[in-house]
Amino acid sequence: MSLKSSSSSPNLTPAHILGRIGAGILGGYVFVWGFIALSLAGLYAVGMPFHDAEAFGSIIGFLLYLVVFLWAFAAQSMGKVWLVLVGSGGLMTAAAALIQHSLV
Amino acid sequence: MDNFLLLAAIMLCVSGMAWLALAMDVHWKQVNSGPLPAQSVRSLRITGYSALFGSLACCLVVDHATMASLVWIMLLAGSALTIAFTLSWRPHWLRVFAVPFARAN
Amino acid sequence: MFQNFRLSMAWLHTWFGLVLGFVLMAVFFFGALSVFDREIDRWAVPESRFEPQPMPSFDNLLRPIFEKMQPTKTDIEQFSSRANGPMPEHFDTPVRWGAYTTHRDPVLNIFAGYEVPNAIHHDDAIFTSSTIDPRDGRIFPDDSLKIGSQFFYPLHYSLNFHWMDLGYWIVGFSSLIMLVALVSGVVMHRKFFRELFTFRPNKATQRSALDLHNLTGVVALPFHFFFAFTGLVIFAGIYFPVSHTQLEQLHDQHEIHEAQVTGLPHDRAGIAAPIASVDAMVAEAQRRWAERGMAGDVGFLALSHVGDENGYVSIYRAGTDRVALTGEGIHFKASTGEVLREDPPRTVVANVNEFLTGLHLQHFRHWLLRWLYVLGGLAGCVCIATGFIFFVEKRKRQYVKQGSQNARVVDALAVTTVTGMVLAAVGMLIGNRLLPGTLPAGWPPRGNLEEYIFWGVWVLAMAHAFWRSAPVAQARMNPAWVDQCFALAFLAPVAVVLNWITTGDHLANTISAGYWPVAGLDLALLVVAGLAFIAGRHLRRKTQTESATATNQLGSAEVQHG
Repeated sequence: MSLKSSSSSPNLTPAHILGRIGAGILGGYVFVWGFIALSLAGLYAVGMPFHDAEAFGSIIGFLLYLVVFLWAFAAQSMGKVWLVLVGSGGLMTAAAALIQHSLV
Repeated sequence: MDNFLLLAAIMLCVSGMAWLALAMDVHWKQVNSGPLPAQSVRSLRITGYSALFGSLACCLVVDHATMASLVWIMLLAGSALTIAFTLSWRPHWLRVFAVPFARAN
Repeated sequence: MFQNFRLSMAWLHTWFGLVLGFVLMAVFFFGALSVFDREIDRWAVPESRFEPQPMPSFDNLLRPIFEKMQPTKTDIEQFSSRANGPMPEHFDTPVRWGAYTTHRDPVLNIFAGYEVPNAIHHDDAIFTSSTIDPRDGRIFPDDSLKIGSQFFYPLHYSLNFHWMDLGYWIVGFSSLIMLVALVSGVVMHRKFFRELFTFRPNKATQRSALDLHNLTGVVALPFHFFFAFTGLVIFAGIYFPVSHTQLEQLHDQHEIHEAQVTGLPHDRAGIAAPIASVDAMVAEAQRRWAERGMAGDVGFLALSHVGDENGYVSIYRAGTDRVALTGEGIHFKASTGEVLREDPPRTVVANVNEFLTGLHLQHFRHWLLRWLYVLGGLAGCVCIATGFIFFVEKRKRQYVKQGSQNARVVDALAVTTVTGMVLAAVGMLIGNRLLPGTLPAGWPPRGNLEEYIFWGVWVLAMAHAFWRSAPVAQARMNPAWVDQCFALAFLAPVAVVLNWITTGDHLANTISAGYWPVAGLDLALLVVAGLAFIAGRHLRRKTQTESATATNQLGSAEVQHG
């Protein structure tokens, strides 16, 4: 018989709920910001018109926001969500900054 | 001419939804006293989908593709609502759609 | 957080749907009204009840008006935080003049932007706008509030709550939650296809509310999804202002590069120059469009770097016959009238973007599609409202057992955002007809008073909803539903009658003349009154059966005690 880990049983403390909401809204925001910034800088760098790159980033970005927001609540581990969203969002933002630095 | 085609699109869409609804046992029973013949389920569905696509064709004649697809998708919504409310309040109005399919072939 | 995906989706849908649903009610309702915002303007501003006009002559009519335009006190006040030090009293350097018209607008909207020497951000300009009668150039007073395009429409994307732009953010977040609610709703709804046509009004409120909630959610699912999604895309610059913050340098570099590639100068030369005949440029633009097989009207006309050697005139074709907004821009050198550039065909990405934004902003001419949009919007309202009703019905007995007031609060808020909201809109229209044309000195502008009436009626409706909500704490229906339905059934026709009395444009006249903007709104008000009356009567019968059942239960309990 397997032991049920604490992360798979309903954890509905106010702190946990706030953590999930934070992960969805704030973690999601950081992630999408990074995605839009990297799309804009990256696609522009390889020749896509500026406003096209911006539009592309926004269109896909909002769909991604929907997906990661749902994931923030469906995922087993809240910690993992925070790490992935803020981590990759930060990395993408940094990459965009580097691309801008190399272009201007 | 455009207005006639749009009217046709509306009527085809509503009819299509009526036939698709009737293909479901629970709705057939709301409209008809007899049972839903097994063979009719398939023909009701084919007729229903054909009508819906006929509606799309009418929309495409009136407007270019991007506009026509918006019109058609919204017509689908409006028609489904119309049939749902008709089934709830005046199901016998849909009898005319069921008649050709009532007796097994 | 939960054992499985479906449970987490159900939790999300219930709680986020409940809280943000109140905002989304307003977004969907006023969004639906915004489909006919310019028609509502005609009702609210009787002086503008004439036929739509094409773009008038720039040289003869618009130019003198533009030359006299200056930012108003309100414009200056709103800009002051973006300037170092006091604002100048007069603005001498116009950076942009623009005029915009659609096939539905009799009046013309024009705007002008001016350089602000001491602006914090060097490129920032102060803008002012005006509404004019294109037949004679008469300027409409700032005071005549266009209830449709200047109140209901901005309300649906900003709640008219401008402090720190919070309204935009609240609506934006609600839109994201709308997408979340749609996906989580589909996950929760097991009998998606089987119950596509299912609506059982004769069952218990909880069941019929859920049926209607599922029905209106599913049949218009593409509509609900696309409107929430495209709304977010349209305001992406507000929610993720990447190109004006982190990547601003890249953006500015691109603008300069773009100016070189297109031949449309980025900055003023500092050398004064005359403006050649813009009418001749418009004629040339229309000739070129016709040559390409897409003859059309001018939708948008703009002058950049006004009065300067680098000035240029941009003329765009109205998007009346397509989903994308204006397009096929042709740019002319302002001082000579020579063609500087014809915008090339759009790229794939640009086309997708224009399709998405154009689908939402609807400048196309297609009356059937517009009415279908209204249907979609109202379906969204019904979906949200039945969501509230289901929430209360499902939980009120358990809240009663717990002795909690939660059901009362949710129900009262539901009344506020359903019947209360419609009452506020109708109240505003009544106020619009009752307020005198010119107000005594010292009074707030007429448009502001109309807005106060709107909010005032809504607050009253909320107070009434809470005041009457006691029965919900005993698991019975809130009588405020019935009260407000009947209030609506009474007040909506009052608005129609007032339009008749104050303008003479009663239904027999407007219908026979085929003046649909006003006839349409009057008819819609009468339909609202009819539906409200039927709903009120039906709900009152329900309350009476409710109390009859309760009395019977009490009676039989007494007999049992015997």
